Amino acid sequence: MSRPPAARTHTRRRPGLWFALLTAALALVCIASLMFGAGSTGPITSLATLLHAPAGDGGWASSGEARFVIESLRGPRTIVGVLVGAALGVAGALLQAVTRNPLAEPGLLGVSAGSVLAVALALAFGESAATLRVPVAQLGALAGCMAVLAAARLRGVGNDPVRLVLAGAVLSGVLDALTYMILLVDERTADEIRFWIVGSLAGRRLTDVTALLPGLAIAAAIVVAIARPLAALALGERVATGLGHRPRLVRFMVVIAVALLVGSATAIAGLIAFVGLVAPFAARALAGPDVRRTLWLCLPAGALMVVTADIVSRLVVRPSELPIGVLTALIGAPVLVAVVRLRRLPSL
Amino acid sequence: MSTVRTLSNARDPVAPPAGTWRIGLSRGPTQRAVLIDRRTVAANGLLALLLAAVALASLCLGSVPIAPQAALRAIFGQGDAMDVFVIQELRLARVEAALLTGAAFSLAGCLTQTLARNRLATPGIIGIDNGATAFAVATVTGVSAHFAPAVMALAGAATATAVTFSLAGGIGTRGYRFIVAGLGVGAAFRAVTHLMLARAPIDDANAAYAWTVGSLNAPEAGSIALLAAGLVVGMVAALMLARSLAVLRFSDATAQTLGINVRGCRLAALAIAVVLSALAVAVAGPVALVALMGPEIARHLSSHRGVPLVGAALAGAAIMTAADLAGRLLLAPIEIPVGLVTAVVGGPFLLWILLRPGHRIAP
Repeated sequence: MSRPPAARTHTRRRPGLWFALLTAALALVCIASLMFGAGSTGPITSLATLLHAPAGDGGWASSGEARFVIESLRGPRTIVGVLVGAALGVAGALLQAVTRNPLAEPGLLGVSAGSVLAVALALAFGESAATLRVPVAQLGALAGCMAVLAAARLRGVGNDPVRLVLAGAVLSGVLDALTYMILLVDERTADEIRFWIVGSLAGRRLTDVTALLPGLAIAAAIVVAIARPLAALALGERVATGLGHRPRLVRFMVVIAVALLVGSATAIAGLIAFVGLVAPFAARALAGPDVRRTLWLCLPAGALMVVTADIVSRLVVRPSELPIGVLTALIGAPVLVAVVRLRRLPSL
Repeated sequence: MSTVRTLSNARDPVAPPAGTWRIGLSRGPTQRAVLIDRRTVAANGLLALLLAAVALASLCLGSVPIAPQAALRAIFGQGDAMDVFVIQELRLARVEAALLTGAAFSLAGCLTQTLARNRLATPGIIGIDNGATAFAVATVTGVSAHFAPAVMALAGAATATAVTFSLAGGIGTRGYRFIVAGLGVGAAFRAVTHLMLARAPIDDANAAYAWTVGSLNAPEAGSIALLAAGLVVGMVAALMLARSLAVLRFSDATAQTLGINVRGCRLAALAIAVVLSALAVAVAGPVALVALMGPEIARHLSSHRGVPLVGAALAGAAIMTAADLAGRLLLAPIEIPVGLVTAVVGGPFLLWILLRPGHRIAP
């Protein structure tokens, strides 16, 4: 009895193993994220605190300060990093699947810029930053998403991955410029969101995270529901229709999910580009073209990228911090070039 | 018999093609002549008129309005002392900077578009501007304070171009691979700029802010003089390349068959473009999309004959001056940096070029 060839390919690729490995790496990086930081609480003290080492043991003491640093500063930002990274990675994979374009990335295509502009607009019209940010950011991301998909459905653009990316880059340029104009005119808005806009995980609280959970939960449910139709859609619209799926509905659901994911991530962490490019790129390289496996692998891959970038951003310019978007751009730009260079840009 | 006589008859020159003037440069057996396209001359005249009008408006309008005649007199130091001060100390330098940077950006854009055979391949998009900006910001944030911004901007632009070219491994099909490689390189350099701004003290960061969005608020006299010199040299060099560039538009094979050194021509054009955009960035920062709009307008006016080098420079200067004027007036007393104005106006225009159905990507 010989196995069908498809199954053999999958066993060779071993997506399960890779998922376990990536998750283990993510766990390690999360522990590192709790251990390292700009302050005086060094790695060894942090580790002792984490392991509940007995107090009064010289340098190994777990002081109240170390406990505070870990529980209120480094803990929340690690959690935020994991959530943001996973959300952006999955959003990238979804957007790439539905536009059939390996370069489609929410940050590059203007989806994130749309949510930033929406938040800036809401603030300029007198809303307070604390209450409304998440839904407004999601609405802005939705608008950006619609624009991207409309552009991708235009004749000719869909078959040309690079043109869509260029259009997206231009769109985000325009949206960024509009945001800057609002910030110029309205100083209150500028003060409220200047530090949020550049992309950072510093100073986020656990209460901010709870505001995201409903959106992320809905997005997760949508992704679970549409994973199979999406995989069918990869074979072409006719095949998907023949298998009993409805491509329009699937696309609509994907847009909603991407808007929820990117909106949530942007609302809490600001503009972080390239995660949605690098994570699916790595996931596809490890797991093969099946979008369901890609989506699973994107969860730990995206989180791994963001948390690692966050640790580096804390340590490079101590005691100040680097915007995390700078680091993801430094990682992501070579990957962008590599995608264009190494492959002959297959349409997904 | 008669045909032979006609061909060898030196006094009876070949009739020029329709719509052109023929200007003989030398007589005798090896005649040299220049053909001048009438349509291009008309287009350039129109653009020059437009440019003069915009520049005059930019001198007159502002928080202190000045009548046109008074403004013109004040340029030469005559008339009301207040007018003379406003014009000579404040507005003239700014208009000069706008004219020169606009012309430089636009000419550079025209050259890179032609050499990559893609209308989207402008210095801002392929990462040259961002490279220059990163290095120029380095002079402010103190990483290397010994060099003038213009010099550093040149180094940055050259670095970015070299990296883009080596990464792309050539121009690629329709220049797209080159463009995306440039997009990546540009993103990396922008990240480096932000990295330096994050490390710098707040005063230095504020001083460097203009360079990150593109502003004509406080142009430096030294950089402007350098840019003016560079623009003259660059324009002359570009005009000497004009014939080769016009053939390069078709295909490498065609150009080679017609005896053009394709590699050399491309390299020379790229070098001019790099120098021009670097010098312009040193004055005004990366002003988005002037390099795209200027050549586009010039090409439309001259109905796509040849490479509109002069027209592109004139149109770019007019766009830059108009955008700066709009940025000063729209939300006065707040001043919108010129880079934001061009981004908001030029972005939709670029999208239209990219996405419209009958889209033609070669310039």
